[in-house]
Amino acid sequence: MRLGFVAKSIARPELKSHDARRWQNNPHLSVSLAYLRDMLLYLAHSRIDMYRMSSDLAPYATHPDMPQFHKQVAECAAELAAMGELARSRDIRLSFHPGQHVVLNSPEPVLVAHSAADLTVLASILDAMGCRPEAVVVMHVGGIYEDRQRACERFVAAYRALPAAVRRRLSLENDDTRFGVVDTLWVHGETGVPLIFDNLHHRLNNPDGRSPQAALAACLATWPAGITPKIHFSSPRTELNIEPAPGRPTPLIRPPQWRNHADYVNPFEFIDFMRATSDLRPFDVMLEAKAKDLALLQLRRDLATYAPELAQEMSAAPHGGK
Amino acid sequence: MEDENSPNGDSPVLVVVVNDPADLARAQREGWYRIPLARAPARVAAEWLAFYQTGAFPAGERWAVRWLAPVRGYRLATRRELIPAEPEHLRAGDLYYRVTLGPLEPVEPPILSRRLRRITFIPTTLARLREAGEINDLWIKSSAQERLWSAIKGAEIEAERQYPLRDDDLAEHALADFALFGPAGRVAIIVEDEPRDEVEVRETRAIDYLLVARDWLALRVTREQLGADPGGLLKRASALAGIQLVK
Repeated sequence: MRLGFVAKSIARPELKSHDARRWQNNPHLSVSLAYLRDMLLYLAHSRIDMYRMSSDLAPYATHPDMPQFHKQVAECAAELAAMGELARSRDIRLSFHPGQHVVLNSPEPVLVAHSAADLTVLASILDAMGCRPEAVVVMHVGGIYEDRQRACERFVAAYRALPAAVRRRLSLENDDTRFGVVDTLWVHGETGVPLIFDNLHHRLNNPDGRSPQAALAACLATWPAGITPKIHFSSPRTELNIEPAPGRPTPLIRPPQWRNHADYVNPFEFIDFMRATSDLRPFDVMLEAKAKDLALLQLRRDLATYAPELAQEMSAAPHGGK
Repeated sequence: MEDENSPNGDSPVLVVVVNDPADLARAQREGWYRIPLARAPARVAAEWLAFYQTGAFPAGERWAVRWLAPVRGYRLATRRELIPAEPEHLRAGDLYYRVTLGPLEPVEPPILSRRLRRITFIPTTLARLREAGEINDLWIKSSAQERLWSAIKGAEIEAERQYPLRDDDLAEHALADFALFGPAGRVAIIVEDEPRDEVEVRETRAIDYLLVARDWLALRVTREQLGADPGGLLKRASALAGIQLVK
């Protein structure tokens, strides 16, 4: 089992995830790939073998008003291949998860076209890196737009219109408010897209009352043989929220919002979850925690302390698809 | 209000070592600089390159950072592709980063190295570069190390940071986090983790014996010890080097 974290390193804040300069300062994918190289070396040194790259690796690559940035992926073929080789040599699984601006099921054709363009760039980056099929672009169904079934059908139609090379790289995740596992399973049934199970989202949005184990098993079964499935795991933030209250002598105290990620992963939740699903197909776990790599490193220590059998499984098992 | 398009103080800078004036001339004329991939540091990516000019440069230009350039790209190429005039060079097939650059800007005042010493790549920031009084100010390490460096400078002790202790017998990576030079000798302060096992303890002792043979005294401290009492560490190191601390 691999554990991964998302984009930014908290342990090494000087390591950037991508070239974040504004367009006036000529950012470039090749600079992002140099940052990625530095990050991959850090990951290898820390024995971290899964990483979600920044979806802004190729800056402005699909910006309609900036054609000067549109050819970066083609321009950087050698650099992409080299970074792919570096990731493979260190056995690091990579992925992308574009932001909420990517909405394939929008009723607005322009937004759908932009979303498809973004997904195409990300898929082409993974292809140019020579990444194995396990390297996926994770996305959500999108918005409901007052009709859930029509929204799902629009996603399916837009998905089918994508080039095969892009569809091969996509995976679909249940979200915390709109489309639960029951919905992503329906989309899988229509498209074959593999599903990412998100444990926290499932707790928050479970329209058909499926147990976490059953939901996970159903999602794992959507992945082709020979490719290790991936899930997302997080703990909800439980701290109270203090809000300034202009005109009041004291701030407002509000309860936590469970959809917000905690800084770290509650190790006991994680251990219980892993033990409850130990008879299922093996999977990799992307940790979604605000402390990022610090959370991952802490969870590794916690597993060694509280669940040595799980810690052993992480260090000993060969990775699927290696 | 600062222009949001202006580079900010956190902009990463990589100080590279220029051993050949032709390389700097090429950077100025053609807008690129090469870094061999096999010898690239763990942190190679940056928004700026700054150029440390070694003794290969004429008097008045050597042993200082005098130029800075914005980075435009990191492309891979063989030496043969980069320098076609030397197709049969021993390393013609080696891969390099061809770092494409914007126009070079002078660093005013130049950042000098006060002591003849080996410099390798230095990752730093634009803010640190602009504020640096000398080369040792460029390194950015833990806050505890920064506090110690401030104390060393405040005490006006002759010292260097990230000082290589390498020679034929020492491990290539033997590096003093701080090197103090005093009338009674040289002290290498080495900040490290606790040794993991007996093998590491023996290796460390072996290195320390070699250091003593080369007139260095090694003062090893853990990160926790440094963080807990940098002033006490400075007193010990100064005493070993025969340096009188002015209160």
